[in-house]
Amino acid sequence: MASRRRMLLKVIILGDSGVGKTSLMNQYVNRKFSNQYKATIGADFLTKEVQFEDRLFTLQIWDTAGQERFQSLGVAFYRGADCCVLVYDVNVMKSFDNLNHWREEFLIQASPSDPENFPFVVLGNKIDVDGGNSRVVSEKKAKAWCASKGNIPYFETSAKEGFNVEDAFQCIAKNALKNEPEEEMYLPDTIEVGGGGRQQRSTGCEC
Amino acid sequence: MSETSSSAHDPEPPIRLNLPPLSPSLFDAEPSELQQPNGSAVRNSSDPSSPTSSGYAAEQGSSTATIVTQVEEVLHNEIQEITIDDPQPLSHSSRLPGKRHSDEDDASISWRRRKKHFFVLSHSGKPIYSRYGDEHKLAGFSATLQAIISFVENGGDHVKLVRAGKHQVVFLVKGPIYLVCISCTEEPYESLRGQLELFHGQIIVILTKSVNRCFEKNPKFDMTPLLGGTDLVFSSLVHSFSWNPATFLHAYTCLPLAYATRQAASAILHDVTDSGVLFAILMCRHKVISLVGAQKASLHPDDMLLLANFVMSSESFRQDFRSIFSCLLATVQCFGISDDTYLMLLTTSSDAFYHLKDCRISIETVLVKSNVLSEAQRSLVDGGMRVEDLPPLPYSGSSHLGQHRLPSDSPERLREPDCGIGGAAGLWHFIYRSIYLDQYISSEFSSPINTPKQQKRLYRAYQKLFASMHDKGLGPHKTQFRRDENYGNYFFVLGSVEGIVLLCWVTQDFELYAAFDPLADKALAIKTCNRVCQWVKDVENEIFLLGVSPFSW
Repeated sequence: MASRRRMLLKVIILGDSGVGKTSLMNQYVNRKFSNQYKATIGADFLTKEVQFEDRLFTLQIWDTAGQERFQSLGVAFYRGADCCVLVYDVNVMKSFDNLNHWREEFLIQASPSDPENFPFVVLGNKIDVDGGNSRVVSEKKAKAWCASKGNIPYFETSAKEGFNVEDAFQCIAKNALKNEPEEEMYLPDTIEVGGGGRQQRSTGCEC
Repeated sequence: MSETSSSAHDPEPPIRLNLPPLSPSLFDAEPSELQQPNGSAVRNSSDPSSPTSSGYAAEQGSSTATIVTQVEEVLHNEIQEITIDDPQPLSHSSRLPGKRHSDEDDASISWRRRKKHFFVLSHSGKPIYSRYGDEHKLAGFSATLQAIISFVENGGDHVKLVRAGKHQVVFLVKGPIYLVCISCTEEPYESLRGQLELFHGQIIVILTKSVNRCFEKNPKFDMTPLLGGTDLVFSSLVHSFSWNPATFLHAYTCLPLAYATRQAASAILHDVTDSGVLFAILMCRHKVISLVGAQKASLHPDDMLLLANFVMSSESFRQDFRSIFSCLLATVQCFGISDDTYLMLLTTSSDAFYHLKDCRISIETVLVKSNVLSEAQRSLVDGGMRVEDLPPLPYSGSSHLGQHRLPSDSPERLREPDCGIGGAAGLWHFIYRSIYLDQYISSEFSSPINTPKQQKRLYRAYQKLFASMHDKGLGPHKTQFRRDENYGNYFFVLGSVEGIVLLCWVTQDFELYAAFDPLADKALAIKTCNRVCQWVKDVENEIFLLGVSPFSW
């Protein structure tokens, strides 16, 4: 029964403002792309059902606001995440440099039980821009960084053209699943009786 | 699960019940869940003095230091204004098992038009339960709810209520479990919050508080598989929010029985409470025949409601009434004794299975020899108090509400003959709640309150009245009321609500809620309330469980 049940995986997308987090998500879920930039306010949420190795599961994708002024959800936002996707723009060096900051921020806020092995995936987005001529972060450099952080899987994507998006999310799903802990035995409590706090409640009859 | 199955007392693999469809015949006066009356039915827009007609915002905020936001325009996922056309009422036989409309999600028009949603989610925003629609498809919606709760919490505050047009969004945070109700039924905030509390209580009845520890250890913990097969328990609970007064009165009700019969039942139960059984509760459907508790133990009426709901909505129990099972995983044992009648034994020890079994056998042996079971069946058939049977009040100096005493040639006599509808003086229905006993008695429904829709409307009106009576922030000034200086009692007349005149009378000992014909004479109605109270007093031996108070307050 347990293996048959559908699982839900919480995936968080982080990265600087304007690197294309929302566009990647939209391309993946809705197969749509818009050139117009609309800043995400707070957060946006999308779901997608995925089949993987005969198992059906649901990705609950948490698209965050890259702009700092909207980052006010804090710990609760990161809690219980199954995978974290770090996105940068291959044409903007600073967005790549900030990956470190995003990764650390996530590990601090989410404080996963095994931070060394928590599944991250890095996406270098907007490889289509200007035919690749405006690119400032080389694939080699990105891969080196990923290798130094415990072999984080790396994908180069174009949300606009839909390039590699599906593959990237397949990998995200796979890694999120891998991280799923073995199901523990559920040990119920016994009931509490006597001096519990419940007894005072609700009579409200002082009138 | 057979009676001898040893797995039933083994706490290790969580005992999951396979719960097929709910039999609608289980409940008294149960309207079909599909027969949701139009939302407008319970709106009392005609009543400007209604306790819900003005916001709760300011009152709540100042008294609890938490915020209540009033938002006119909707949240991230907007909920459309409603012009309800709920699905055609289906007959009982075509009722679907478990959750309905599981194909819907937050993009479905039909889903958005549902009048009352219940959601349960984890503190990481993962969906656990939704009354309508598929939880997984609602993952985004669930995340939005979590984001709202977390956003406010980050500001060191708590969100309790959001108003969005006709909708109220009520939040309840219970540790790692978040509960949300979105409703346009115009039920008071306090009522909706109470329903969420019960919802959480039902989860704990099934899973125990161990769930909290699991979330502490692993925020990713997914409790949905542990709730597998319990859809019916929750749909039955949600349903009871619109027919069972116990859900807002926080009191239980007894099956009417002759005093001697109930005494006999109590004596039979009493024998086992000396042997480590905390509570022995003998019930008939949702009504108590008798209950006996060990000293110093307390059981809240809400817990009885939740236990009974769990038993009643478990078809495995209904189909094979002699089966047993455990909820609260092995600390409660339920035994079917006969049709409709069951015994619940509560213990603190998780390995008392065989002991409980012995207790059950000894109780059952004596019970079947007694007349308790046949009397219970008869009482089920006969029903309880009927307004038509209200006896006339013999003159008594201790009359409580004497100010409007009428001359003997009062119009009452003229009215009495045309009370073919309802009882005397246009009395349609009443609920009497004994504060001291934590019990209530509700009269049987009779004409003209005889359709599920009317019953639900009346129920909601009572609920609203109850909430306004018990909401200190709002206070009774919102209703028309008169204080009887001589007795220190409050007497309220809540104007006409959708064609029903409601009266509420609160004293230190009891609360009386009564529904009258809108044309009923006020003075007569007050007098009739006196008669009802006297009547209840006269028959209290039969309608209440007296003597033993298992509740320690």
